[in-house]
Amino acid sequence: MDHVRNFCIIAHIDHGKSTLADRLIQACGAVEARQFRDQVLDDMDIERERGITIKSNSVSLDYRARDGELHQLNLIDTPGHVDFSHEVRRSLMACEGALVVVDATQGVEAQTVANLYLALEHDLELLPVINKIDLPAADVERVREEIDQDLGLDPFDAIPVSAKQGLGIDEVLEGIVTHLPPPRGERKAPLKALVFDARYDAYRGVVLYVRVVDGRLASGDRVRFMHTGREYEVHEVGLNRLRREESRGLDAGAVGYVITGIKTIRDVSIGDTLTHAREPAEAPLPGYKPARPVVFSSIYPMSSREYGDLSVAMEKLALNDAALVYQKDSSAALGFGFRCGFLGLLHLDVVQERLRREFDLSLILSAPSVLYRVQLRDGERVDIDNPAYWPEPGAIDSVEEPYIRASILLPEKHLGAAMELCREHRAATLGTGYLARGRLEVSAEMPLAEVLFDFYDKLKTVTRGYGSFDYEPLDYRPAEVVKVDILVHHEKVDALAFLAHREKARARALHYCGQLEQSIPRQQFKIPIQGAIGAEIIARSTINPFRKDVTAKCYGGDVTRKRKLLERQKKGKARMKLVGSVEIPQEAFVSVLRTERGR
Amino acid sequence: MTARSPAAASRRPTAGRSARVAPERASLPSGAGEGAGLYVHVPFCSAICPYCDFAVSVGAAPRREAFVRDLLREIALWREWREPFDTVYLGGGTPSILGAGQLGRLLDAVRSHLPVRDDARIFLEANPEDVAHEAVSAWRRLGVHTLSLGVQSFDDRELRFLGRRHDAAHAQGAVRECVAAGFDTMSLDLIFGLPDQSADTLRASLDTAVALGPDHVSCYQLTVHEGTAFGRRRARGRLVEMPEDEQAARYALIHQVLARGGWRAYEVSNFARAPRHRSRHNMKYWRHLPYLGLGPSAHSFDGARRWWNHRGIEAYRAALDRDERPVAGSERLTREELALEALMFGMRTTEGIDLRDFRRRFGVDIAARNRRFVGDCLESGLLERAGDRLKPSTAGLAVADTLAARLEL
Repeated sequence: MDHVRNFCIIAHIDHGKSTLADRLIQACGAVEARQFRDQVLDDMDIERERGITIKSNSVSLDYRARDGELHQLNLIDTPGHVDFSHEVRRSLMACEGALVVVDATQGVEAQTVANLYLALEHDLELLPVINKIDLPAADVERVREEIDQDLGLDPFDAIPVSAKQGLGIDEVLEGIVTHLPPPRGERKAPLKALVFDARYDAYRGVVLYVRVVDGRLASGDRVRFMHTGREYEVHEVGLNRLRREESRGLDAGAVGYVITGIKTIRDVSIGDTLTHAREPAEAPLPGYKPARPVVFSSIYPMSSREYGDLSVAMEKLALNDAALVYQKDSSAALGFGFRCGFLGLLHLDVVQERLRREFDLSLILSAPSVLYRVQLRDGERVDIDNPAYWPEPGAIDSVEEPYIRASILLPEKHLGAAMELCREHRAATLGTGYLARGRLEVSAEMPLAEVLFDFYDKLKTVTRGYGSFDYEPLDYRPAEVVKVDILVHHEKVDALAFLAHREKARARALHYCGQLEQSIPRQQFKIPIQGAIGAEIIARSTINPFRKDVTAKCYGGDVTRKRKLLERQKKGKARMKLVGSVEIPQEAFVSVLRTERGR
Repeated sequence: MTARSPAAASRRPTAGRSARVAPERASLPSGAGEGAGLYVHVPFCSAICPYCDFAVSVGAAPRREAFVRDLLREIALWREWREPFDTVYLGGGTPSILGAGQLGRLLDAVRSHLPVRDDARIFLEANPEDVAHEAVSAWRRLGVHTLSLGVQSFDDRELRFLGRRHDAAHAQGAVRECVAAGFDTMSLDLIFGLPDQSADTLRASLDTAVALGPDHVSCYQLTVHEGTAFGRRRARGRLVEMPEDEQAARYALIHQVLARGGWRAYEVSNFARAPRHRSRHNMKYWRHLPYLGLGPSAHSFDGARRWWNHRGIEAYRAALDRDERPVAGSERLTREELALEALMFGMRTTEGIDLRDFRRRFGVDIAARNRRFVGDCLESGLLERAGDRLKPSTAGLAVADTLAARLEL
């Protein structure tokens, strides 16, 4: 056990976590050069493209240290985004130490700080790494200062590297062995293994990734999930060396995989504790928290004919994404679709990107919403995320909305603009802390609903790209929430209805009206577009009627050509969504809903 | 309609062979039995207009004579046609480019080989540059009932833009000559919606037309087709079509000026001083009545099937050389297709749609099927309801295509 190190890498997006992981893997010879793809751990297209890690993964590396001893280094990759903070937590729980990567040109960012706090919560030993020292804009000394002041870590431990160029990689490996502690655990104690991840494999069913804390796990064991109570037979255990490598057993301190007979990922509770059915541990490992969706949106296929394809795609996605919850939904305007719950905005983005790319679907997404707690006059309490189910205003006693604690890091000179932005988004700033050299951390409490739309974008704009943002869920607080209906030609368009804070309702409704005015083609009559709270009209715009079409001649008897033109025109119209007697092209929904998010 | 299809005896199975069965009979229009129309396409012009996408070419005298002989051969191949014709329409192209002798031979052949009623109306399209006293007298002698003169504009600048060979003064003289000749119906064609046509120049052309006193006016909106000179100019960005709102305003102006002069619209582009001056021939197209088309590219229809001749004169002639009808293709119209056409015509004519008749023919109650949309159109004045008829208003005619596309079957 003394020769084992379980560690992860903490970094802000783009600071080079995946590249560093690749170099460590290469340096330990786990991958041959010719089979090496950059960023081995990120095996989803979107992860590669965006340079972020969504699903965690792990790999066991053999490293002969300078003292001549062979060590097993288990690198547990963590998702780099706060939406997946519960996954981050689980990964951190499997480790004793972490590398904290900071970009030598960017310095410490909000996400670095947030993840660092998480790591400290889990008593991890931390080793700072300054990456990208090969870049001309690298300022290693300044970053050392930030590591000292912003992160509170010893700047003299920091290892300067260039993951891209392969500089300093040996020092990092050596640092892992010397700075990070080996696991502690009782091999003789009853089995306790943390399930920190799971993947669906088309041939083997669900593959669990586990960290054995106490005891020993071997094939043939009968195991029990302590939270769900389900029991299974262990078919195979082993180490992840990019490919699975079967072994006889996993001892306390080990990180590896387990295959039981589990068929669907829904049957697995990530974060659960595995123990032996015959000699169970007394209590599960602490910190188990099921993932809960906080952002909701309905997904519709652009063409209702694609509903079947969407349905299949959702099922396939859900095989590997236990956090994705969905149920059938239908809209008068957009037909059948799915109401989905996401861990956050990034999760939503990832899901829709995967549906588009991997399944080649064209989609319309309704405006994202948070989950409101509604206290009814009759004493009942309901949780509502879908405007379609919003009660009549008369039936509502009070409403609460979810709040977050936001942390914004930015250069001092942009503070004024950022504070203004916070005020616009109903944020109560708690305090401003000076970090190194003109950088500030603003912490604020604000409604989650306020960051669903354009907050990230605006922050980037007002800070000229230097601001970063992170958040964690806080609690529920009273709010004045209204349902805004969008009416086209006096007809409610269900897919465009949204829930909003009363103060924000008018501005958003005006945005909708303006966008629809732009994207709905003129029709035969004047079309009013209105935003309304109940009977009260709060925004409006008008589409003037279409007054002349090019009536090609219809003489000499060539009626066929004319009819075919008309048939084509009718086909084009079949792709429109009919609301009352107004035709709305799908693109109108897309443009309204996309520009609103503005991301 | 006769019980026997006109093309049933054709040697070419593609040409309108049909065995009437009950459902097709049900889709016949209530006006069936009025008589068929005969169309003869003369594909020659003295010059090709830059907006024209009809089958036309510039033919010298020997080619024209050869073509007349082709037509005579084609006429003879349709001896089995039984439906009596009550209209004979010489169109093009420019049929007035043919000499009186040639036109006479054509009409004689038509009368001797085909069932043309004695009271059939003869229509002739003519260009102002072909109008001369002798020619006009000859047309009268040939029995031309309706003379349709392709004036297009009374503005010299617009005429040049349209590539026409006559000027405004000549056009006026030609109209006067024809009016004086005493045709039953004297019609003239105008084009509107030229890229920079002002309301004033259009009004001036209309005023001139009104003052000349024709019986019938056709006023077509300039349509830029791909494959024409205008189409290529548009593709290069050298021709920009008139914006839709201005087109609409010009269209309204036409109705206004012509109505004041006593011409009532009866179709999107057609105005007549009295119902009897309406184009009996063109109305056959719009009412799904049978018609036979002769000459290159001409289309025919027998109530259920439509077929069309070769567009190129070479292919057309080659078929005749083989003693075959020069039919290039045909289609049997499904009930849905017939319904769509009926809907399209209904929206283009002031007669509109007879809802009961439509339901009888196609089993669709247009008003009930489109209750919401029709309601909105009635409210906004695009459609009017008169008994069982659903009729487009003037504003409705302006968007006839879109109305037809929107109404569901």
